[in-house]
Order: sequence, then C-alpha cells, then structure tokens
Amino acid sequence: MLLNKESSGSRWRVRPDGQDKVSGRLQYLTDMSAEGMLTGRVLRAQQAHARILSIDTTAALAAPGVHAVITHKDVPGLNGFGIALPHQPVFCSDRVRYTGDAIAAIAAESDAEAEYALSLIRVEYETLPLLEDAEEAMKPEAVLLHEEGNVLHHTEYRRGEPEPAFRECAHVVEETYFTPRQMHTYMETEGGLFIPEDNGRLTVYSATQHGLMDRRQLSRILALPEEDIRVVSSPIGGSFGGKDELNVQPYGALLALRTRKPVRLHNSRYESVRAGLKRHPMKITMKTGCDREGNLVAHKVRIISDTGAYATLGAEVLNFATEHVVGPYRIPHVEVEGFAVYTNNGVSGEFRGFGGNQAIFALEGQVDRLAERLGLDPWELRRRNLRQYGDPGPLGQPIAQTHGAVQVWEALKASALLRAPETAEVPETAAEDNGKRAEEKRPPWIVTGTGAALAMHGAGLGYGIPDPAGGRLVLALDGKIEAVFGYEEFGQGLIATMEQMLVEQFGFAADDLRIIIGDTDVVPDSGSSTASRSTSMMWMALQRLRPEFTAELLEKAASSAGEPAGNLQLGPGGVWRREGGLLISYTELARGLKEPLVCQTVFHYPTTPQPRVGAHFLYTYSAIAVRVELNLLTGRVRITDQYHVVAAGPVANPQGYLGQIEGGSSMAVGFTLSEDAVMAGGAYVTKNMDTYLVPTIIDMNGRIQVEAIEDLPEHDTYGPRGIGEIGSVHLAPAVAAAIFQAVRKRVNKLPVEPELLQETLFTTQKAVNSYAG
Amino acid sequence: METMGAIQDGPLFTPALRQPRSLREAWELKSGLGDRAVYVSGGTLLRTQWEAGTAAVPQVLIDLRKIAGMGDMIEAEGYLTAGSLVTLAACRSSSALASAGPAAAEAARQIAAPAVRNLATLGGNIASGYGDMLPALLVHDAEIAVYDGEFLSVQPVEAWLERRWSGSVPPGELVAGIRLPRRETGGARLAICRKVGRREAFTASLVTAALAADWDAGSRTLRGVRLAAGGGSGRPQRLAAAEALLEDAELTHGLLGAVYEAVESGFASYDDPFASEAYKQKTAGNLIAAELWRLLESE
Amino acid sequence: MPDNYWLQETDETAGTGNPEAAYILNCTVNGEELSLEIPPGRRLLSILRDDLELTGTKRSCEIGRCGACMVLLDGRPVNSCLTMAYQCEDAEITTIEGLSAAELHPVQRAFLEEGGFQCGYCTPGMVISVVGMLQSNPQPSQSDIEEAMSGNICRCTGYGGILRAVHKAIESGVSP
Repeated sequence: MLLNKESSGSRWRVRPDGQDKVSGRLQYLTDMSAEGMLTGRVLRAQQAHARILSIDTTAALAAPGVHAVITHKDVPGLNGFGIALPHQPVFCSDRVRYTGDAIAAIAAESDAEAEYALSLIRVEYETLPLLEDAEEAMKPEAVLLHEEGNVLHHTEYRRGEPEPAFRECAHVVEETYFTPRQMHTYMETEGGLFIPEDNGRLTVYSATQHGLMDRRQLSRILALPEEDIRVVSSPIGGSFGGKDELNVQPYGALLALRTRKPVRLHNSRYESVRAGLKRHPMKITMKTGCDREGNLVAHKVRIISDTGAYATLGAEVLNFATEHVVGPYRIPHVEVEGFAVYTNNGVSGEFRGFGGNQAIFALEGQVDRLAERLGLDPWELRRRNLRQYGDPGPLGQPIAQTHGAVQVWEALKASALLRAPETAEVPETAAEDNGKRAEEKRPPWIVTGTGAALAMHGAGLGYGIPDPAGGRLVLALDGKIEAVFGYEEFGQGLIATMEQMLVEQFGFAADDLRIIIGDTDVVPDSGSSTASRSTSMMWMALQRLRPEFTAELLEKAASSAGEPAGNLQLGPGGVWRREGGLLISYTELARGLKEPLVCQTVFHYPTTPQPRVGAHFLYTYSAIAVRVELNLLTGRVRITDQYHVVAAGPVANPQGYLGQIEGGSSMAVGFTLSEDAVMAGGAYVTKNMDTYLVPTIIDMNGRIQVEAIEDLPEHDTYGPRGIGEIGSVHLAPAVAAAIFQAVRKRVNKLPVEPELLQETLFTTQKAVNSYAG
Repeated sequence: METMGAIQDGPLFTPALRQPRSLREAWELKSGLGDRAVYVSGGTLLRTQWEAGTAAVPQVLIDLRKIAGMGDMIEAEGYLTAGSLVTLAACRSSSALASAGPAAAEAARQIAAPAVRNLATLGGNIASGYGDMLPALLVHDAEIAVYDGEFLSVQPVEAWLERRWSGSVPPGELVAGIRLPRRETGGARLAICRKVGRREAFTASLVTAALAADWDAGSRTLRGVRLAAGGGSGRPQRLAAAEALLEDAELTHGLLGAVYEAVESGFASYDDPFASEAYKQKTAGNLIAAELWRLLESE
Repeated sequence: MPDNYWLQETDETAGTGNPEAAYILNCTVNGEELSLEIPPGRRLLSILRDDLELTGTKRSCEIGRCGACMVLLDGRPVNSCLTMAYQCEDAEITTIEGLSAAELHPVQRAFLEEGGFQCGYCTPGMVISVVGMLQSNPQPSQSDIEEAMSGNICRCTGYGGILRAVHKAIESGVSP
C-alpha cells in the first residue's frame, strides 16, 4: 500500500500536539523562564588537545552581574559523564581533548554579562600533539588520549574461513568507503531551565532521549539522590540521537544548586556545533567475493571509526556497524574487525541509523561492484543472496523471523522505477511547472541514472544491554484515561502514536485521554526513546495492559450500573452496552473510585538468546530505488525520485510513519550530497548553518513514495517494528548506484564530491554536439 | 590553530546609532569616528560576522537609510539608477532591473533566501567586494556611485573593484548606488547569471558566472561580449581572453572549446575547504560555454 | 578572506554596554502599539523572545540561515535574528502569535491537517514564510513556493508534509 493521507483515510489523524505547534504556543524547554532566573554559559576549551596549566576565574567572578563561576573544583560528585562510560569530564581539570571540552561555567544576570565574564577567565595551556586521524591514533607511538589506550572498542566477528574462500571466488572486489561527520542539526539547540526547589530538590527542564538516564547521570555528578532530581524532558525541538547524551544539564544543575536560583542555558548554534555529538566518520574497507553464479562466498571487513575525544556510545555504534556490514545476505565466510578510536575531533556519538548508515553504504556498494563484474543486474544479484525466512541474523544469532527481506525485494522489483526507470518520470506537484519542465529538452550535460539498495536494520539496544520497557494505564480520579510512559517527544509523533493506539485498540476517544511522558517524577522506566524502539514497546505494553485494564474498567462499570460485565465494552467517553448506548462515562466511573485505577506492566525489549553483546532480535527491512539527475557541468546530483518499500509490520500511525521515512530520507540526502562537519586542526571549519548545509526544500523537491508492507507471520507477537531510522540508512548506496548507471563512476566517499563527477564538456578537441546524441 | 575562544568569549556591546540625513553627514560621522563606526545598510552580512566573531561589534552604527534617495530605483537619462539601500528583494522583483540588467535581477534571485533579501541591500552586497551581484554588474557595464566626502562620482564596477581589492578605497568612502546603461540596441541582448553552490539553494556561491552580449542571429555573431565570474569571497572579475575570442566572431560549436579553455585558465579563484580552484575554474568554463551552446541550439 | 572595509576592529577598551545607546523603538507587534526603550542594535529576535516573551519565534542559527525566527515586517518575511531594533522603527511586526488570536490561520490549519511538522521548532517560521508568500502571491507556482520556502530549514519532515500543507493552503484560498 502506498502510504499517504488519501490511502490512510480516517487513520490519518491530527496530532494532539499539533495545535500548539502550528500556533507557536508550544513552550519548548528552552522557551521557559522563571522569576529571578540567571543565564548560564560554559567556557569551552580554546585548544583541541592541551594540558591545562592554570585556570584563573578571579576577574570573571568580580565582573558585574556574575553570581557564580564554577570549575572542576565545584563538582561534588563524579566529575564525569557518559551513558556507557562516564569519563567525559564535566569540567576539565588538567587536560582538554577537544574544543568542546568544558573548563568553567558562569551564571550571570544577563546574557551580555555572562558573555563578558566568560572572556575574563584566563586559562593557560600547554599544547599537546593533535590526533586528527583515527589510524594515526592507533599507532603505537601515538600520544594516548586516555590511559587505557586510544582504542575505545574493538570488535571481531568471524565465521567460516574467508582467506581460503577468497581463493575459490570467481570475482573479488575490494574497496574502501569513507563517510562524513554528519551533524544532527536539530533546529532547537541544547538548553533548558534548572530550578533549585525550596525542598532541596532540583528540577531539570532539558531535552534528552531518556529522562531516567539523565537523572542517574546527574545524581552521580551532583552527589544527590536520584529521588531529589526531577527531569522533565519533553517537548523537544528535534534530537535524532544528538540529545541522548548529557550536554548542558550538568552545568545548569551545578549552577542552579550553587546560586540557589533558576538558571537557563541555551546553546548558541556555534556552541552546539562545537560541543555537540556528530555521526561517526568511518573508513570501511571491504573485500567481497562471489562464485561464477553470483553466490556471495566471502566477505572481509575492517572498520575504523573516529569516535572523537570521549566514549559516549562509540562502542555501541561500532557494534551496530559490525553487525550491519554483514546485512541481509547469506555469506558463508565472514570476517569483520572494527575499531572505535579516540581522536581530538569533537565527540562522535549516537545518531539516527547508529552505524548502520556507514555499514550499509559500504556493503551495498560491494554488491553493486560484484554485479558489475558478473555482468548481472544488481537487483538480481541481491535476490540470489538474500536472507530467507528462518535464516539467522547477520551475526548468526536467532532473530524474530519475518519475510521482510524478500518482501521488500519483490515490492521494489515491481516498482515503476526498477521496471522502467525512463518512463517513470517525475510528475511535479504543480501542473503548470510540470508542463514547462517537460517541454524543455534536457541538455546533453544532464544525465540520469537509477539505483537501488536494500537494508535490514536492527532495533532495540541489543543483547546484553539493559533495555527495559513498560508503562501504566490509569483511570484517574477526574475520569481521564492516563497513559504514563517514560518516553520523550522530540517530533517523531510518539504522543500521536500512543493516542492512535489507545483509540484504535481500546475504543477511547482522544478527549478521554491524558498522555503523560517525559517526567521522571511520574513515569515508569519505559527505557529510552532511541533505537527505533518506542513504538514497538508502547504497542507491546498496551497488548499486555489491555486485557487487565479493560476488565477492570468493565467490572467497575458493571458493579456500579448493575449490568453483567460480559454485556459491556469500552467506547468513546465511557463504557458502552454491547448492543449500543453509553452506560456510564469515565468521569462518572471515576467518581466511584477512592484512588486511581492503575494497571502497570514491566518487561524487557525482546532480545536474541545468543550471547553476543549488541546483537539484535527485531529488524526492519527496507528497499529503496532512486533516480538521479546529474549535471556534468557542475558535477552536482539531484535526486528526482525515491521509492521506499518498508516492511515493519502494521502501520501504527500513518502520518508518523510517512513522516519518519520522508524525514529520514532527507537526512540521508544530506549525508549523501552535502553534509560534512569539516574539521581542521581539531576545530570545526563548518561552524554554523551557513557552511554546514542540510537540505533545503529545493534539494528535496523530487518525488518520494513510501510503500508499507504490513504483513507479519501469523505467529508473530512483536507487532509494529521501528521505522525511526530505516528511512535514513540506504539512500546513499542507491544514489551511488544511480550515479554509476549514469556516468560509470564509482562513488566511495560521502558526501559525493561534485569534482569527481564534473566533466569538461567543451574542449577544443571534441565538440559538444557529440554528447547530444 | 585559531583561538576559537575569542569568537564566543568577547564582550558583546550594544552599539549606538547615528542616522545621518545626507551622504556628507554620513561621511563626516565615519571620518570622525574612524574604526569605531561602520556604515550599515541592511546589516545582514554584518550581523552574521558579529555573531561568528569574525568582526567585532562596532561602537557606532551609521544607518544609511535616512539619506534621501538611497532606497530608490529610477529610470532617467538612459540609465537605471539604484541606490545602495535598494533591497535585494527589490532587485529580484524589479521589472526595470529585469529589463536594464537581467543578469543582475537573476543574480539577486539566487542570493540567500527571500527573507534575507528583504533586509539585505544592493549596497551591502557590493561593498563586501565579493557579493554575487558583482559579476552581473560587470557584464552590464554598470557603474558604481561613490561618495568620498566631497564628490559623488561614478566609476565602472571594474575600476571600483580594482581599487577595492588593492586596498585603496578610503575607509570613509561610501557606496551610494549603481547605474546601468539602458541599452537601446535592436537585437536581442543576451544576459545571464548562473550560480553554483554546495546545495540547490540558500548557499554561498562557489562560482557565479555572468554573460552578456548582443546576438546577431543573421551572422551568428556576438558583439559587446561581457563575461565575468566570481564566487565565494573571491574577487569578481571580467574574463577578457574569453571575451576577445567571442567578440565579433561567428559562434560555432567548435568555438566553445576555446571559450571554455579561456574561461578556465583565465578565471583566478582559490581553493577552499569545500572545492578546489580547479573545480571552480572548470565550472565557470562549463557554465559559460553551456549558455553559448544553448544559444546555438535555440536557433 | 578579504577585509570588509567598513568592518574594522573596535576599541578594545570599550565596556559591555554603551550608555549612549538608549533608544526608543516605536512599532506595533501583532497589532499592539509599543514604545520600547532598548538599545538600537538589539536584535528583534531578542526583543520578541526575551523582552516581550513571545517565544513562538524560535532561536536556532542566529545568522539568518535557518528561518526559525522568521516574522513579518510590514507584511514581508524577515529573519528576526538579522533585524535590529532601529530597523523596526514604525514597522508593523507580526509574529506567529499574531496570526491566530481567535482561531488558527488557514495556513496553520493546513499544516495541522497535512502533518506539515514534526518537532515543530521550524513551524512558526515556516508558517510565517507561507503567509508572507501568499499575501503577495496568492497563486504561486511550484517554483515560487520553492523559492519562498528556501530560507526555512526543516530537519524533521523532509519537507513533504510542508509542501502538502502549502498546496492545501493555496487550494483552500487563503485570504490574506
């Protein structure tokens, strides 16, 4: 089914948070203010790698309007943070490792005073050698960024005997792929409001993707019991993984506790770029061989991941990449080795796709190159090697079985783009322009090509990592049905999806509901809002809660109205008689309660039984075809058509689903064509959105169609799979394939360099009209 | 490495405002205040530089908007005259400019985005010394009106650029506006501006190339050929060698290769972190040759 | 980078504020006449968000490269991060809050119904740009729309929903 508003009918719903968003009334956490509030600012390192000889805050402290200047000496608990490994200093004491490192923080009465005071802090540095390249950092003679060595994490996976197997291959291709340091570029930069409460507690209004994790981390830093910290984490102006880790929270919290006044921090874009996470740039070398029939035989991979100065989830991202370089193909002999390496280049961390984007670009590139060697259609080559129902996962682990890989392969095969790319011309949305564009004969320097790629993408945190799930349904005393979950809304439409599930599965009206998320004082631990997991986990939680909650409501209604529960059902506004007619409203029902009626469930994200840390159990499958227009004059590429097929189980929320694929694809267009946070000497060259270029509406004016395959095997109990990342992971190799079809040039580095594709069309030797044919 | 601390950590002032009513008054203010003051027309580039820390916030802003006539576009005496305070949005939508300087109108369409163009001005774009309007103004034989404290004088864009890039423009000298000759030639005057950046819109230019010429379809000959290119923060320049190849010559497909090569080798640009000089040179050559190819094909 | 001749380094001895800088800005914001004593160089963005607590106008890039802070100045979209107080003299400023006093503006309704937003942070700026475009051009072509929206960055939607919302707004015949 092509997913759009028309095909969705009444399932296309207005988002509950929409009214406030389109009207501008929605208060983001960085929009909040409080009486007597101070402005917080952070002093970042002036060098990318240096010893700190001294920090002098005297003048800053004496500056007008300044209430506090704090440094490493003022951290009562652990001077470190990091979801997996808390070793990133809240404040550096003796050494800085990247230019986002924090040295001090200031609370002042105004932005200008804070800014001025910041300039008065004197830090003396002794420059240390800079590690700008991950492979240089791996050399034995390299200066150590951390005591335990410059390799944060090393992965290995092996099956079969790849080396001898290569000798038996009819074709072997070797290539090294490079992917960019992509920036999340959420529109709302990091920030929030930090309020020391009268009762000694601290309230943190600041974006994160896992409020309870922030609370845990802040508790360690502040030496304050977790119960004394309340983290309110939604609404969020975009995250994409980038706000998963702590950012401004330690500074806001410490300043608020020190000054006993509310403190607001809101990073400038410059500071956000400088301090914030980026996608891991990876260098992936692959050697892949197949036999004469095109059966993949052996696959050898080496991944070098530039993890930057600190860990955050660099190890987990590498685990993910290690799994996804094998992908949805049957390959008997595999050897993968990966290294996540510390450098002085910012901090790389969690980002939509989580290492899959890099891995899939390389893997799909290999398949395309082998197809060329074989003289075979690349899509056919994929068919010959595609995983089938019953096959283990990429690391040989048991996984939840679906027909997803084959389904998306077949559906894409049937798409107009793959059947007859030349006739599948893009219809423009506006008819008048359409006519004009069609009339214009395409000049000889515009060439077109079609390419496709396929991916399976894991969801959830994977084996061996705590991945709790759960939630609570409540009939509150005011008669509202409360759904209480520990998730965050950063735009993905989680609240809307929750509402839609409650309406469709239970029969409630939207007005009956109160959805409560993102407040650690009231929510249960539902796990993080990451890894394409929350829709699945909400669905599973509701599956578990539904029989009990329904029964309790019906019984309450039965006993208060004197009708047998068996004759009743839940409906909009209240409990209804099965034959029709509202029996009792939820409000009336609640009047009979002494305390709220609560049903709760606690469970764990489903994992593979095979003990390999990070290996996944639930996967989403997708195939994509793209058509590109390449301008030889400039070497620039336009994507004119995209067709996504996604197999992710039932569509829980059509608008959200479509939005995730379209939006993910736009992020992938940036990854493929224009985005790279360029660094030189440990500093960002691309400091703001004037040089860091994400796609505009004109870069995205091609057609995008999304076909959703909803079928799951009959016995499947896992419901909707995650779709938050899958739209962003496979466009790059499809574009590379389309470019190859157009000009027979192989792209192995992203973003695609126009210089590689540019041609000199006009030479004194060759007249241009030779192109015109 | 650069000391990035200075970018964010310098004190932010709130500059004072002066709003002179005349060029002379503006010039006197600037002369008196020297480095402490800047002229501001739209202020879009300045604000960006202040935020980025690449220029310090001055103590005094000299707002040029109150000077009579600075925001006007007038057709008179064979010229189209536009004051420095004319916004780029006005340039983009002006039918007078579309007629007298189509490449300039096209250039305006490709600068930044509409909201920025509602603030940004022609004068600011020119005064930067590298704005995207300049290649187009070069091919239209535009002149720049400057005020030096005594006289308002006009000079060809090329001459002004020469002074600007050699550092011989005194700090107080003010770009008051431009004027474009209104050509009354019978034949079709070709005038085109093309910009290539790192994405499809709302991007700084890597290369901006402009072309203007009279096309005599009968003899398939170009006359009054003007070619220019610029890009990024590089110096906009006429491409004299390529112009000479085309002037009065019969345009053929065979000539395009030579024109391409003349542009490529004649265009002085620079390497930046995103594109090499060679790429920009090839792009300029390709853009210009492609427009000539279109001309041949349209016949 | 070439020097810009009118951008010289300033006197380093200057303080944080300039006592001469007091200035009265007279303008209307969302129909309300205001007289504000503020520094003339203060950004409109700061005036709206911090002085007037109109936080629907968003802060994002602060250099006019994202459109999150877009407002209408005398009916035309401008980036409020680039606009200084004195440039608003006698101007009519409309922010997102000013579009929907009683009920949603038709453009806002179109965004709501078509799902032309996700995180919503770019949405006020987007809506302002569409309203500004339709006021001057009620029947824009596809390329008019693309041009008018090219200065508004959305990181969530990929613009699909936004374009559908714009077309919906045009179809519904938005009266300015």
